[in-house]
Amino acid sequence: MSRRRKRPIFELMSEYMEDFEMMAEELIESAVVERPTWDVRSKCLEPLRNVFVTADEVIVTADLPYAEPETVKVEAISRDLIEIAAKMKREIRFHDFGITHRKGEFSSFRCQTRIPVPVDTKRMEIRFKRGVLEVHLPRKRGYPIRVK
Amino acid sequence: MTQFLSELVRIVERKPIPSEATMLHGLPDVGLVGLIATSHIISQLKLTEIAYVDSDLLPPVVVLHEGLPHAPFRIFGNIELIATISEMAIPAAAIQPIMRALVDWGQSKKMRTMISIGGMPTPERQDIIEPKVFGAASTMSLLNTLSAKGVEILREGYMVGPYALIMRYCAERNLPAIALLAQSYYNYPDPEAAAVAIKELSKITELKIDVSKLLEKGEEIRLKARDVMKRTQRELTRMKKSQEYDLPLYV
Repeated sequence: MSRRRKRPIFELMSEYMEDFEMMAEELIESAVVERPTWDVRSKCLEPLRNVFVTADEVIVTADLPYAEPETVKVEAISRDLIEIAAKMKREIRFHDFGITHRKGEFSSFRCQTRIPVPVDTKRMEIRFKRGVLEVHLPRKRGYPIRVK
Repeated sequence: MTQFLSELVRIVERKPIPSEATMLHGLPDVGLVGLIATSHIISQLKLTEIAYVDSDLLPPVVVLHEGLPHAPFRIFGNIELIATISEMAIPAAAIQPIMRALVDWGQSKKMRTMISIGGMPTPERQDIIEPKVFGAASTMSLLNTLSAKGVEILREGYMVGPYALIMRYCAERNLPAIALLAQSYYNYPDPEAAAVAIKELSKITELKIDVSKLLEKGEEIRLKARDVMKRTQRELTRMKKSQEYDLPLYV
């Protein structure tokens, strides 16, 4: 008689979580009308970005090609929301990409990103290197539980 | 117009296809490295469109260039070189049948070698000025050739996605296939990684491609490629691309 291999609970939970996240994402995709990554009225482009959670900090990165380094700004809007903004070295028009059926130009980047775990925004550190922004947000610590 | 049919995918040939050519693959993947590199090669060598890939598994999309419709997944070529690119993210669910059909088609055209150009997600990419390129091959003799030509070999690790399947299907049939993977950002378009991948390609082929224009236009490409990158990232998540960070277990 073959016995089913027991799998570690964390492995199972991690798989369930991944499947759940995928289902949630698909549900959101089907329910929400997708917005473009540009806004002609505010002349803003939405940058590509990433959020990594490590044991000590949350690292948010954003790709900001053409951004003027001195204008890159990160602001904590609330405990779990930061806003990234930067002016571009020059205005980019739809026409620059060969697009003639839309009119408009873009002079800055802007986006808001939610932080998934509690962080200390006052100790936030920022680095901007070769067009990529890196924001380091130290995680808030809880209280230690002693091992008996 | 010839059609090469598999169960779910058809490759529609619009011009005569050369045999015994080298076949390059530049499909949307991490950092869009392959797509950027192969698009640059196509434009530098002025390759013309010779075929396209059609499938019910692909979204109902047509891309307009100079007002004329094109399939987003196209094959370009001249007498010696064939290059596949896709201007849209390939749905994770469509990857297997499409890659199988591409390998079948390449085999039927007696392609000399299939070379996939891609990225290798590298968390510390921002601190790397000149990304490294690693090579993998479908046969031992090809691996030795890569090594002899100075390409660093990807000895242990996972490959996930379209190139993993090209490598697997070619290895099954003993067809020569190579993957050149440059250290790159995971979900930011990476023209610098594309440029080093092209330089590495020149070590193993006769192709001599100037990458100065590609590097000059780096920021413009990064801006232009945002939307394709965004959609590609979603598909990469679906195909569990992050497994490439994992350590393989072989005791």
